[in-house]
Amino acid sequence: MPENEPELSSDEVRHVARLARLGITPEEVTRFRDQLRNILHAIEALNRADTSRVPATAHPLQERNVMRDDIRAPSLSVEAALRNAPSVEDGYFKVKAIQE
Amino acid sequence: MNLFSRSIRELHQMLVDHEISSVELTESVLGQIDAVGRQTHAYLAVTRDLALRQARDADDRIREGARVRPLTGIPIAIKDVLCVEDVPATAGSKILDGFIPPYNATVVERLAKEGAVFLGKTNCDEFAMGSSNENSGYRPVHNPWDLDRVPGGSSGGSAAAVASGEAIAALGSDTGGSIRQPAALTGTVGMKPTYGRVSRYGLIAFASSLDQVGPITRDVADCAILLQAIAGADARDSTSSPHPVPDYLDGLETGVHGMRIGVPKEYFVKGMEPAVEQAVRGALEVYQRLGATIEEVSLPHSDVALPAYYIIAPAEASSNLARYDGARYGVQAGGGHNVIEEYELTRQQGFGAEVKRRIMLGTYALSSGYYDAFYLKAQKVRTLIIEDFQRAFEKVDALLGATSPTVAFPLGAKTQDPVAMYLNDIITIPANLGNVCGISVPCGLADGLPIGLQIIAPGFREEVALRVARAFEAATDFNRARSALIGTAA
Amino acid sequence: MIATKYEVVVGLEVHAQIKTESKMFCSCSTDYLAAPPNANTCPVCLGLPGSLPVINRKAVEATIRTALALHCEIPEFSKFDRKNYFYPDLPKGYQISQYDLPFSRNGYLEFEVRGEAGRCGITRVHLEEDTGKLLHAGAIEQAQSSLINLNRAGVPLMEIVSEPDLRTADEAREYVMRLRAILQYIGVNDGNMESGQLRCDANVSLRPVGAREFGTKVEVKNMNSFRAIHRAIEYEVVRQTEVLDGGGRLKQETRGWNDARGLTVSQRSKEFAEDYRYFPEPDLPPLAVSRAWVEKIRSALPELPAARRDRLVSQFGLSAYDASVLTSSKPLAEYFEEMVRLGAPAKTAANWILGDFSRFLNAEHKEIQDSAIKPQHLQQLIGLVDSGAISGKMAKQTFEEMYHAADPGPALEAARRTQQISGDTELEGIVDQVIAQNEKSANDFRAGKQQALMFLIGQAMKLSRGRANPERLTALFREKIT
Repeated sequence: MPENEPELSSDEVRHVARLARLGITPEEVTRFRDQLRNILHAIEALNRADTSRVPATAHPLQERNVMRDDIRAPSLSVEAALRNAPSVEDGYFKVKAIQE
Repeated sequence: MNLFSRSIRELHQMLVDHEISSVELTESVLGQIDAVGRQTHAYLAVTRDLALRQARDADDRIREGARVRPLTGIPIAIKDVLCVEDVPATAGSKILDGFIPPYNATVVERLAKEGAVFLGKTNCDEFAMGSSNENSGYRPVHNPWDLDRVPGGSSGGSAAAVASGEAIAALGSDTGGSIRQPAALTGTVGMKPTYGRVSRYGLIAFASSLDQVGPITRDVADCAILLQAIAGADARDSTSSPHPVPDYLDGLETGVHGMRIGVPKEYFVKGMEPAVEQAVRGALEVYQRLGATIEEVSLPHSDVALPAYYIIAPAEASSNLARYDGARYGVQAGGGHNVIEEYELTRQQGFGAEVKRRIMLGTYALSSGYYDAFYLKAQKVRTLIIEDFQRAFEKVDALLGATSPTVAFPLGAKTQDPVAMYLNDIITIPANLGNVCGISVPCGLADGLPIGLQIIAPGFREEVALRVARAFEAATDFNRARSALIGTAA
Repeated sequence: MIATKYEVVVGLEVHAQIKTESKMFCSCSTDYLAAPPNANTCPVCLGLPGSLPVINRKAVEATIRTALALHCEIPEFSKFDRKNYFYPDLPKGYQISQYDLPFSRNGYLEFEVRGEAGRCGITRVHLEEDTGKLLHAGAIEQAQSSLINLNRAGVPLMEIVSEPDLRTADEAREYVMRLRAILQYIGVNDGNMESGQLRCDANVSLRPVGAREFGTKVEVKNMNSFRAIHRAIEYEVVRQTEVLDGGGRLKQETRGWNDARGLTVSQRSKEFAEDYRYFPEPDLPPLAVSRAWVEKIRSALPELPAARRDRLVSQFGLSAYDASVLTSSKPLAEYFEEMVRLGAPAKTAANWILGDFSRFLNAEHKEIQDSAIKPQHLQQLIGLVDSGAISGKMAKQTFEEMYHAADPGPALEAARRTQQISGDTELEGIVDQVIAQNEKSANDFRAGKQQALMFLIGQAMKLSRGRANPERLTALFREKIT
């Protein structure tokens, strides 16, 4: 937990929104920044815990090596796969181009 | 008494005795949905045709006397975070408006195999993020006990439906308390099984290492029945456990004589309403009378459970929600100059404020330079919380506390302050982090509003939680209280 | 290669699809090239809400097999991680890959360039899922829309990262060729670079000779053949040298190789630095890679190229060079050994394969398994020559016909029937006729001019339309012209 770090900045909010591909208005930047600052304050309590002697729990259960055999099973029909798509062409999902 | 206010077990008996048909029962519940649905907004979609078709099939089964299971012909509501094939699933979000899954969640398939009847998809906080169902992208749910109040969240719709008679029982999901807390606020029984007990395949993901599907019912026996139908390993969910599933009804009535019940002192939190505390302490006296020994225990890291949760859950959610870009399903904004702009607009317009907050918080927590301090630290705290429970369960068989520090609060009361809202889950969150199971049962009313008692048992010992809950239910009559909407008390 | 005052430093990143039946995390078919767009998809590889991945055991074993073949260490604990970024060919908005605990690390690959042995370290071999494919109408820079085909999304992919130990374009090419051969040998990948089954990116930098620190690294992508790898690296070295010699600074960037124009082009640099936010994949329990499991996989490893090469030398007496070329690809090696198994003499078989056959194949950019000529055809052809039924020249002609035919059978059969004339009666007749028609040459030969004999034999071959046995002819001419 970063101690004595400066408050979350608007630039950081914009950066994080960009990483998450979340469009955000200038007004939202400020509003979210303030709300996130409060939440981060509340989260600071995490520093109280002494975690020097414990490992992280990334997976709650003790299971290991959960795998399946290499066997093909029927796929969805193309129709079912495309059914929910807003835009389709010749069996492809269609989106705007990558570049401007 | 109306059919729609009876329990699963009662109705099962009436069905096999041919006193009623499933179609009749289903029509009764659908009628109640028509009657009060516009007041609760418990449902986002009612699947009338599907329900009646399934009811007819159930009646055939019952008539033939073949493969009749406890849930055959019983109308169940399903939280809209679960996929039902060919039925719209929104997860309470505008961004999935129109999405129709081409497949069933495993729990849905298991219920369908049992011959259950699906009434529809219940309203919930968007992507299961919330404690009041006010984050639904569509409309809030109103508590059947007081329509100006919240039912709790995120499974607010499922809990309200059970409390109002709009369903006999329901499936919800619990990541930080989202089954137990709304159950407490609506006077119903709600259980969060141990992580891995129930398959997550087909559950629209919020936090992958915390989410669990569980039952919301009118009594403890019904809860055991519904859990029995959905529990067990699933090859399609690599995080589901091969731990054997016991018979949850077996030993349900055993009682608690000789059991050791621990009361975590940390669970009497600041801000707990006096009536809630009083009800919980009253419950302790009941358990003592029943022959259990009560002792105070300590779960010393309880105070860091909430911060840890508000890093782990948003972090996982920020990744799980990256797929919502409008390209393959859901809503597409239109108007962007290129695909990335499209993504940004779609997500800006499709996600609500709480979801955006959590995505940003989670993205931040995982980002370069912050991972160790946030995510990794939170996962280490999780280990401490798991150890707290393990140590406690060396001394006691079950833990007891309030489910929620308050009763149902008015709509709009906490929407301005995210942190105030998060505190609703302060007593439920530890169980999600701790590899244990928990159940909430009614334990009184405060000014006519339900109070929930939370019982926590060790991981994969759901039968202990059920048994302890049942003992309390049998010895008291809090379970008999009914919301105004469902009609006269039983 | 220009001799410069700079040391060239090259590291290679190879992505190799694994030849499993089903995808990495779901049971959809991996046969994405043949299928109509989006026909091999399911809730998991489409990234539908609520879907969950399940690990394909065969892909894990293939990765461990590859790691063993590359002499890597295989730690006891491994896991998958999420690599988070947005791109239309990435349905979940993250790729399930491996970050800090990959299946293997610290291996090496040995190679030879012009007889000199070399070794390149292998940093790691890890396992991940492939992305879908994007189609653009026209050039990517001008397209209005992108079309997404998710058949390839989820196909198992190994990432093999080398240490920056390579020092020349030749070494880089040789590394990839050897790696490809190994992957073919252990059956995890067919080595097809054009189809994208095997992909290679290079990191190229220069540093002053003797310097310890690395120079600015440039990533080079879009090299779809061994030749492209070689050309691209050579180009990049020249380009970077010119920049540095001119006192300029190199930009750390990604450049795409343009094969048609023979140069690398800077790819549009992202104004925005991506941050992958790796974290352990919560939907997949980690893996305990027991030593027993590793040993079981190791014991099932087939003979690797280096061992096979040595065996061909010792067992068949082939030259080291021939053995090396023959074992450079598994199909080539198998073809050779099948021929020998059918009875072809080893050296003759090798000569045919490495000579005419390879010449025809290379001209068409074909692989030996694509040819209609199967080992038994070539073995039989050789048999006809060895038994004296046809001449070597006839065999070459026949081979060419066989090569270009859809079915080599008829040409082979025709050759079989066109017996070489070895019978003395018929030959004598030919010899007598030639002597009679070429008195001057006969007299020249009598006088001692060996060339005249050659001429006479040539005439006899012409007369017999190539069917006469040259050795018998020689003997008969010598007999008759005294």
